Amino acid sequence: MRENAEQNQDQELKKSLIDRFKSLSYVWQIIVGTIGVLALIGVVGLLFPASPAGDLARIIFRWSVFTQALRISAPIALAAIGGIFAEKSGVINIGLEGLLIISAFTAVLVTAMIGPAETVAFIPAIWIGFLAGVLAGVILSALFGIVCIEFKADQIIAGLAVWLIALGLAPFASTLYFGGRDTGSLGTTIGNWPIAIMLLSVLAAWVLLNHTTFGSYIRAAGENPKALDTAGVSVSRIRHAGVLLSGFFAGMGGASLSLSIGLFIGTGETMVEGRGFIAIVAYLFGNYNPVGAFGASLLFGGLDAIQIRLQQIGYGIPDTLVQTIPYIVVILVLAFVGRTRIPKAAGKHYETEE
Amino acid sequence: MSRDLDRRTFIKGTGIAGVAGLAGCTGGPTDGNGSDDGNGSGNGDGNGDDTGNGDADVDANIGMIYAEAGLGDNSFNDAAQRGLLEADEDFNISFNEVEPDDTGEFSQFQRQFSESGDFDLISCIGFAQEDALAESAVDYPDQQYMIVDTVVEADNVANYVFKENEGSFLIGYLSALLSQTDLTIGSDDDERSTNPDESVVGFVGGVDAPLIRTFQAGFEAGVEYADGDVEVISSYTGSFNDPNAGREAALSMYDDGADIVYHASGGTGVGVFQAADDEGKFAIGVDSDQSLTEPDFAHVILASMVKLVETPVYESIQNTIEGSFEGGSVVELGLEDEGVACVYGDEIGDEISDDIKDDVDDVRQQIIDGEIDVPEEP
Repeated sequence: MRENAEQNQDQELKKSLIDRFKSLSYVWQIIVGTIGVLALIGVVGLLFPASPAGDLARIIFRWSVFTQALRISAPIALAAIGGIFAEKSGVINIGLEGLLIISAFTAVLVTAMIGPAETVAFIPAIWIGFLAGVLAGVILSALFGIVCIEFKADQIIAGLAVWLIALGLAPFASTLYFGGRDTGSLGTTIGNWPIAIMLLSVLAAWVLLNHTTFGSYIRAAGENPKALDTAGVSVSRIRHAGVLLSGFFAGMGGASLSLSIGLFIGTGETMVEGRGFIAIVAYLFGNYNPVGAFGASLLFGGLDAIQIRLQQIGYGIPDTLVQTIPYIVVILVLAFVGRTRIPKAAGKHYETEE
Repeated sequence: MSRDLDRRTFIKGTGIAGVAGLAGCTGGPTDGNGSDDGNGSGNGDGNGDDTGNGDADVDANIGMIYAEAGLGDNSFNDAAQRGLLEADEDFNISFNEVEPDDTGEFSQFQRQFSESGDFDLISCIGFAQEDALAESAVDYPDQQYMIVDTVVEADNVANYVFKENEGSFLIGYLSALLSQTDLTIGSDDDERSTNPDESVVGFVGGVDAPLIRTFQAGFEAGVEYADGDVEVISSYTGSFNDPNAGREAALSMYDDGADIVYHASGGTGVGVFQAADDEGKFAIGVDSDQSLTEPDFAHVILASMVKLVETPVYESIQNTIEGSFEGGSVVELGLEDEGVACVYGDEIGDEISDDIKDDVDDVRQQIIDGEIDVPEEP
């Protein structure tokens, strides 16, 4: 008996080791692959400094390009982390773009209402604006959660509605308060803080999702809601929490986007310009892991920063084609390297059986 | 107490925004401006003091269709509206204004206005209306139209285009000269300066469209004319609404040694100014005098390449009233007609030496006299 149990334990240990090794090897594959590509560009660039590889090496190995990549990726990574919490809990939130828009606008609106130079209780107005932006994201996502979870609306349609509501509401509210769809400059910004906010959020989200009881509830609500229900935890409450967290993180992303430049632009697709949709790709690519989503966002941000400088070198390639490099590479990487496993119950409503 | 008040203003503000937003949703594509039924009766935004719907008591009834950015853009559309309001003061006209939200609505508004038959002239602002107007002009051959920034070949359309390349040539020439001189403005913590040892200037474009390319072409030719050793770096952000992208593009240029960056990118350009502010460098504005329209950045804007959109709007209304509307004509407004000009910054323009300003004036005269040929494509 005891031997048997030990054997079982042994086997389980072995199995989990193999599992770990497999998952580890995938991560290592990506890390080694990335370092390999960078090293290759570096070596070729050193050997042939006049070649395009030389140009590329000079662009990539530059501190200012790295900080640019981080700045570009911040709103995307934050929105992606938000998307992870919603979808891991079983609610597909394609309204991230709308959450970014509404929080970007509200952050600027509240900062302007208080007065950009004012402080309230020693907090500069711009940070109160930031919090207001986050709150706006949370409120809109709460609405989305109620519609999807309580009234069992189609999550994709409700997500689109979130985007369309924000796309109409923010520019319209802007014309009321600022007299135009663009708010005009606040004259103050939050500088490079979004980078720090993003890095902290990645860490916090990773711990919360993978190393807390609440995180395991979130994952269970998306994988096997019945098991969670049987364990006596309310699936709909966990899903509400997941959706609210998506509003919280996306709200930080939107507020970061507008306050790092100090204004909101509501013309056309607004200043968010599809970053919310890129965020969806980022978290799928990162296989619902906050660190993975951050890596995918950084890949996109890095390619975008490189793309800007490639245009400036002025090869004979049309600029519009160079602009598409980040998108093309992300699609290629997603197709060949990406391993995405969608949570089993994502997009499905759960009826509790009492 | 004060915090309570803040909370109250906040709640009031969001309440108003929310209610108005809902109203906006039900209001449909007209944006609460003008009438839904296309009769052209009255205009909802209350700035028309003589908005009749008949042709009897006014000399001309004008339909204005603005470009996407809409009124309040501190630039293109506001300039067009100034032309309209000037005409409203000088003549006995009535008008109806609409601000389309996206390119799909251009055709809709053009047709609504044309269908009603109430308008003597329909003014289409911006090159994005070209395709829609090409169709509308054929479908309503008796309706008179005018369009700014592009050419629609039809007998009932008066076209007005600007020679942006000429204005941009002057800007390029000015930038090249300035990047070679030692220009330092401001003191201690807000000092910005050029680096005469490294002469680089930059150009940031919005969408890579033929119109924006003419800005780039003129700018590059102007730099080249000043001194072949000055390097120009250019890039496009792919959007007119992405200030964050504009900032990154300009930052990388300043990082590569650029002293001055010129932009032709609409709302994206605010990011260029922000980057100049961050890096202690300079920028040049576009369309209107941006040192006035973006006062927060007046300390970085050396000059602006202005396009006087007022002129064609006013002129076409005058022509309509006087019966001298010329369908099928193409009017080109360059430096000579004061359609485009190089305007020095309100706050720091005075720091530019008179020698350089005289040189720029000379070049302007040479372009007008035809001694310098300014290219239209880079």
